[in-house]
Amino acid sequence: MQGGSSGIGYGLKYQARCISDVKADTDHTSFITGTLSLREENEVHLIRLSSGGTELICEGLFSHPNEIWDLSSCPFDQRIFSTVFSTGESYGAAIWQIPELYGQLNSPQLERIASLDAHVGKINCVLWWPSGRHDKLISIDDENLFLWSLDCSKKAAQVQSKESSGMLHYLSGGAWDPHDVNAVAATCESSVQFWDLRTMKKTSAIERAHIRNANYDMKKKHILVTAEDESGIHIWDLRKPKIPVKELPGHTHWTWAVTCNPEYDGLILSAGTDSTVNLWLAPISAGDEPNSEGIAESPTQQADPLLNSYSDYEDSVYGLAWSSREPWIFASLSYDGRVVVESIKPFLSRK
Amino acid sequence: MGTDDVPLDDKAKRMRDLLSSFYSPDPSSTPNAPSKYGILDAINTSSFDPDQYMNLLVQKSNLEALLQRHVEMAAEIKNLDTDLQMLVYENYNKFISATDAIKRMKSNIIGMEGNMQQLLDKIMSVQSRSDGVNTSLFEKREHIEKLHRTRNLLRKVQFIYDLPARLGRCIKSEAYADAVKFYTGAMPIFKVYGDSSFQDCKRASEEAVAIIVKNLQVDSLQAKLLEKLEQSLGDLRLKTDEIENVSLESNDTSKLGKVSDSIPTTAHEASVREFAEAIRAYRVIFPDSERQLITLAEDLVIKHFEMTKQYIKRRISSANLLGVLRTIWADVLLMDEVLCEAVLPDFSLEAAKDAVKLYVARTFTYLLQDISDALLKVNVKPKEAAEEHPLQVALEASKKAVLQGSMDVLLDFRQLLDDDLGLLVKLRDFIIDWVQEGFQDFFRALDDHFLLLSGRKNLSSQDHGLTEGVHVEKVLAGLVLVLAQLSVFIEQTAIPRITEEIAASFSGGGARGYENGPAFVPGEICRIFRSAGEKLLHHYINMRTQKVSTLLRKRFTTPNWVKHKEPREVHMFVDLFLQESKAIGCEVNQILPQGHLRKHRRSDSNGSTTSSRSNPLRDDKMSRSNTQRARSQLLETHLAKLFKQKVEIFTKVEHTQESVITTTVKLCLKSLQEFVRLQTFNRSGFQQIQLDIQFLRTPLKESVEDEAAIDFLLDEVIVAASERCLDPIPLEPPILDRLIQAKLVKSKEPNPITP
Repeated sequence: MQGGSSGIGYGLKYQARCISDVKADTDHTSFITGTLSLREENEVHLIRLSSGGTELICEGLFSHPNEIWDLSSCPFDQRIFSTVFSTGESYGAAIWQIPELYGQLNSPQLERIASLDAHVGKINCVLWWPSGRHDKLISIDDENLFLWSLDCSKKAAQVQSKESSGMLHYLSGGAWDPHDVNAVAATCESSVQFWDLRTMKKTSAIERAHIRNANYDMKKKHILVTAEDESGIHIWDLRKPKIPVKELPGHTHWTWAVTCNPEYDGLILSAGTDSTVNLWLAPISAGDEPNSEGIAESPTQQADPLLNSYSDYEDSVYGLAWSSREPWIFASLSYDGRVVVESIKPFLSRK
Repeated sequence: MGTDDVPLDDKAKRMRDLLSSFYSPDPSSTPNAPSKYGILDAINTSSFDPDQYMNLLVQKSNLEALLQRHVEMAAEIKNLDTDLQMLVYENYNKFISATDAIKRMKSNIIGMEGNMQQLLDKIMSVQSRSDGVNTSLFEKREHIEKLHRTRNLLRKVQFIYDLPARLGRCIKSEAYADAVKFYTGAMPIFKVYGDSSFQDCKRASEEAVAIIVKNLQVDSLQAKLLEKLEQSLGDLRLKTDEIENVSLESNDTSKLGKVSDSIPTTAHEASVREFAEAIRAYRVIFPDSERQLITLAEDLVIKHFEMTKQYIKRRISSANLLGVLRTIWADVLLMDEVLCEAVLPDFSLEAAKDAVKLYVARTFTYLLQDISDALLKVNVKPKEAAEEHPLQVALEASKKAVLQGSMDVLLDFRQLLDDDLGLLVKLRDFIIDWVQEGFQDFFRALDDHFLLLSGRKNLSSQDHGLTEGVHVEKVLAGLVLVLAQLSVFIEQTAIPRITEEIAASFSGGGARGYENGPAFVPGEICRIFRSAGEKLLHHYINMRTQKVSTLLRKRFTTPNWVKHKEPREVHMFVDLFLQESKAIGCEVNQILPQGHLRKHRRSDSNGSTTSSRSNPLRDDKMSRSNTQRARSQLLETHLAKLFKQKVEIFTKVEHTQESVITTTVKLCLKSLQEFVRLQTFNRSGFQQIQLDIQFLRTPLKESVEDEAAIDFLLDEVIVAASERCLDPIPLEPPILDRLIQAKLVKSKEPNPITP
């Protein structure tokens, strides 16, 4: 199964969809992931990359009441994370805290800090502001966008504001702008909507169908990368929402997830249902106007934007996360519950 | 009271009518004729008879009604009274305000008379003063006028005295026009006083004018001749036009009536000859006039070529172009004889270079247009299903357009090359380069155009003139497939043919300089089109799978799978899916060649993956108890994957029927699996999926080359559904069979979907 791959593997017991970088852990490169099993007892795994970078160590194993559809780690407290879960019939979302001294306990239980229980329909995701300490949370379900104010010490979360996405706009996910604490992008069936959290109003939209996933560039303002089912990856400059700045071919089947490197400019990872993870290099220069594309296209065609394709997976890859501590390392999670951590160092020199 | 327009209730309305009828002078204007209406309503008319009314009322109504009527009437009367009072008050108010206004007017007018008197006095005094000023200044004004007249006279005299000197100056500076103007201005004075006071002046001026006249005679002769030459030039230009018409005639007989036969080429030649003679004569008379003549001759050549360029824009064959060039060249040679200083051949060579270059460029533009037209015919009549294979027809047509068009173009250019016209002989190298360059650019443009037509590159399309008629949104998948196949054709057949042809007749050149190499690089073009072909094929598959995806998305997001009812029949999305794959098959069979891989691949896969790993799972595991299952299932899956050769789902697409269909179906099934994975099912939902998939199995395997992969994917869908199921108990095989048979029978009756 290793098949000459450079990646370090780690197996979960059941199928899984989501993995998240533990950003607040500044001493180790660690990831947190949760399983998706309808009928078994689900688990949350805290995984750490050993100091030599050759092994993945299970740092914590906690049971979670339901199958996990979305999981993200709190960017300022390494022991806190959020999950979206489902019993099969209904959905729930909660903020959890890993108990202290869990190493000594036999069967540590996760401590539920707060339930985000204002939702009715299918919950899609919970978002933390990616750039640091912020006491707000966003949760998105099929029809609504909630802004929660979270108080970790009091262990309470309250709905601060709520807005419906409007008729016939079923939301599917979202991304919080790391450059603007008041801007959120929400993906829905036919477009990406941009919300201003102060007014809870839609400010603009990119009309584009079937967007699976969206991710803001951590370094550059106004740059959003989207993944679409059939038509690959698009890079948008939000000031020019009509035409994408760049297009990448994506995957043979759907492009499921896309994420920008937090450190290196223009490095983009995408995961697809064709059981591959692709590493792209698509820097957006300042003068990369959409209308000068005819000229700009020829050099990009010469240099293939696809740096590498990691294909050593047995099933569709849904989970993808860069390490923010060591930005040349990423973790990927395929549906069969295999975590693979890879280093992109060999490709950095080519930049 | 009556100012508001809101609809009033009946009573108030009647009240108003009453009042208005009271005020209206003409009683006949009340519309109600008493005889027509019931007597009880006649109370409002002028011919109201109280006694009759009373009688009628008493007769018709009982006591209670009468009492009520009484009360009503009393109230009405009261109301009428109040209204009348109000009216009176209102009018009274108006009257009082009118009186006030009149009073004010009266008091104001009293003071006015005195003011008017005062005004009159003042005006009178102003008038008398102005008279005084006028008389006192009169004398001085007279004096000034007289002085002014004297001054004018003196100036004239001065002018006369200066005239000879001025004329002399004008002659020196050759400003004859000015001199004549001065002299004619002074003429009347000379006539009157010439014999007495200005005798000397007159004589001197006349001498000067005589010189002017002499000078002018020479110059004007020259100018006139030049003018004449220019005129004949204009004539010549016209005749060029006719020549073109004549040459058009050769292939367009409908124009015969327009151009008279009386102007043969010889007429043009004669006039050019005449022109040349004129130039020769002119040079003899005026030896130093070359500059002007050269400009004139160059002008002629420029005009000729401008006409040619206009002509080229009208899409002509190179025979026509040759005709025109030949005529021009003859003219140029003629003129060169008489005016060799102008180096007209070189000059016209330059101009011809531009013209021929333009011609080459235009030809390629037209070729591109032709191909695009041939392709767009698919778009124009997709619904006219009279033709059985519209795509095939379009492909053949566009193939022909590419190959035949290119060959024609080459042949056309051959004519230019083979001609022994001096002009073209010198341009030969250039033409070869242009043609090569032209092909290079043409194929690049064609590639761009393909992308544009396929809708992949709808972003920067504003600068494309050719595409105005194309609506990018409505690109047909079939067209994309045609484009893909056409790209392959260009790469494999057209380019080699054209390369051959170019090598045969357009080799050499070299005017571009050696370091650049030949302009036409078939290798590069082939590369471009190979990648274009692949891209377009992918695009086609994408478009097709997207359509199916939409279908599947609807199917899976709409129902509530957790509360699904027991499966009664195969869901209709299966029909749609099969229809779609049939449509793909239909398009693909028209366009793409059959692959030869079929047998090979099948035997191969049979050997390696006899029965897919999911089969035992379906048969055995499902019937086991629930709790143990998932764990062992996953384990089993892993184990199976370890021991089983990985089924390649995403193989490289080839330009064959089977490959395209297989890829599309594979992608669709993969999408199906992903959609299933996103849902949670109850037992019935799972069974529905099981049923649908089971039904798909046979028809899909029949149409698809890679059976193993399809089997694998279909099993994967069922596995995914069972994993996402709360209670995965499959349908009993007999029930499954019965439902499928029922569906088969049903679908065969109205329109058979399964072959």
